[in-house]
Amino acid sequence: MRAATWTGVNEVSVETVPDPTLLNDHDIIVKVRKTTSCGSDLHLLGGYIPFMRAGDVLGHEFMGDVVEVGRAVRERKVGDRVVVNSFIACGTCWYCKQELYSLCDNGNPNPGITEGLWGQSPGGCFGYSHALGGFAGSHAEYIRVPYGDVGAFVVPEEVSDLRALFASDAVSTGWMGAELAGTKPGDTVAVWGAGGVGQMAARAAMLLGAERVLVIDRLPERLAQVREHVGAEVIDYSTTDVMAELRELTGGRGPDVCIEAVGMEAHSPGVHGTYDQVKQQLRLQTDRPSAVREAIMACRKGGSLFVLGVFAAAVDKFPIGAMMNKGLTVRGAQVHGQRFTPRILEHMARGELTTEHLATHVMPLEQAPRGYQMFKDKEDGCVRAVFEP
Amino acid sequence: MPLPKIVTRAAGLAGGAGGKALQQLQHLRLPGFGQSSVTDDPRTAARRWRAVSVLTDPEQLRTAIPVPLAAFGDRLDVRVTPAPGDRGAELAARFRGPVTEDEIGDLRAALRESKALVEVGEVLRVDPQPHGHRKATPQGAAIEGMAERAPREGVL
Repeated sequence: MRAATWTGVNEVSVETVPDPTLLNDHDIIVKVRKTTSCGSDLHLLGGYIPFMRAGDVLGHEFMGDVVEVGRAVRERKVGDRVVVNSFIACGTCWYCKQELYSLCDNGNPNPGITEGLWGQSPGGCFGYSHALGGFAGSHAEYIRVPYGDVGAFVVPEEVSDLRALFASDAVSTGWMGAELAGTKPGDTVAVWGAGGVGQMAARAAMLLGAERVLVIDRLPERLAQVREHVGAEVIDYSTTDVMAELRELTGGRGPDVCIEAVGMEAHSPGVHGTYDQVKQQLRLQTDRPSAVREAIMACRKGGSLFVLGVFAAAVDKFPIGAMMNKGLTVRGAQVHGQRFTPRILEHMARGELTTEHLATHVMPLEQAPRGYQMFKDKEDGCVRAVFEP
Repeated sequence: MPLPKIVTRAAGLAGGAGGKALQQLQHLRLPGFGQSSVTDDPRTAARRWRAVSVLTDPEQLRTAIPVPLAAFGDRLDVRVTPAPGDRGAELAARFRGPVTEDEIGDLRAALRESKALVEVGEVLRVDPQPHGHRKATPQGAAIEGMAERAPREGVL
């Protein structure tokens, strides 16, 4: 089959690779209909998560048709049109029973790497390095899905492929941030980042009853999408002072809930941005956390912050004093998608959650290298490059 | 020596180095990075209980020690205790005498496999996976060495 692979720092190729096979009784094989680039892939491409091997198949956000099922699969069947969560979870360990699926104890066959880095290992993820299991990704004609009954959800007839695709990761991640940060009716929610995840976090906050939702970014086409398709307000950080805007818009309190949807390669203007770039390039810190810092400083006293952006290891100048003295609740997680996907598909079926606008560039899988280049450079207003194998 | 041979030789060394590096990472205590339970001297490390929590009735584990642990025979002490707060059972094991780092790695893998067999009914496999052309580079070989070693390393 054909597949898009990581072949080196900032290098993507399309190659012929072996077809996947059922390896475990709980596996299913999915013929991929649509698979999308994700902002977190850029950390892999750029070499910031140094556990990729040349030839690894990329991609973790996808949907398609079940074409084969293992002996222990009970619910999924051949012919089901499914969306698959990006994290691999067994559904039976204590973490899965608590609906903390990305923390699954039985989802990552390479726990030694992440335990060494973080003290504990999260679950595995498709196409996201050998630190998260070394599973082949979805930018391919076929993909093996472990624990198929747990991670694959049948898409309702009335939901299009392009809408369902983003339930795999962008929507479920955004929804998780809004819900687990404790968004409730009357809240003001600020979201850093207007990519797919940030937009969906904003939409989820609105559906959870937030009074006011503000999305912060600098790219005009993304801010326009937020206004037009999400219905939230926007702040362009390249033209105004975010902290001052947020104070002004919240009666001096600051947002009740802050959601960071940017991650380890945050762009920020001025001295702060230069400082983080230099430290990261000199390997004195692994991540650039400017959005996290700003969110902590902006958040109201006693408010909450959810970190959705992917971070690898350690950062500098983390404002722990502000976090502690303001009594903030800070949470983060990789996506517990299995917890939120059923509700998300219902909202999608009712037309309350639309995602088609995120797919600004839909192209054949063979054009994946070009798609990633456009996505990385934000060329032609690219929000997501979606590939069709 | 021709260049391809040099690269292949370097890659081979790097593969071993990758596994070794991961092993060494378990002993590091850099601020903000890494964590390990294996900072004791070899004799103490060998005697330390290594444990996993298994979401099951403790009685089930007491009556039938999972096969991966049973395979160690009388070289291990195995302990099963109820885990607090409906977390199932704590399955712990330790060697009865001095052992090597590799044998401790075998025990880590056996504990994880035991947990998976009880909770899921099978151990998750990852190989063979579809992949494209693997360039013979030292960095790539190091990643492969790490991945090969990873099931037997960690904080257990």
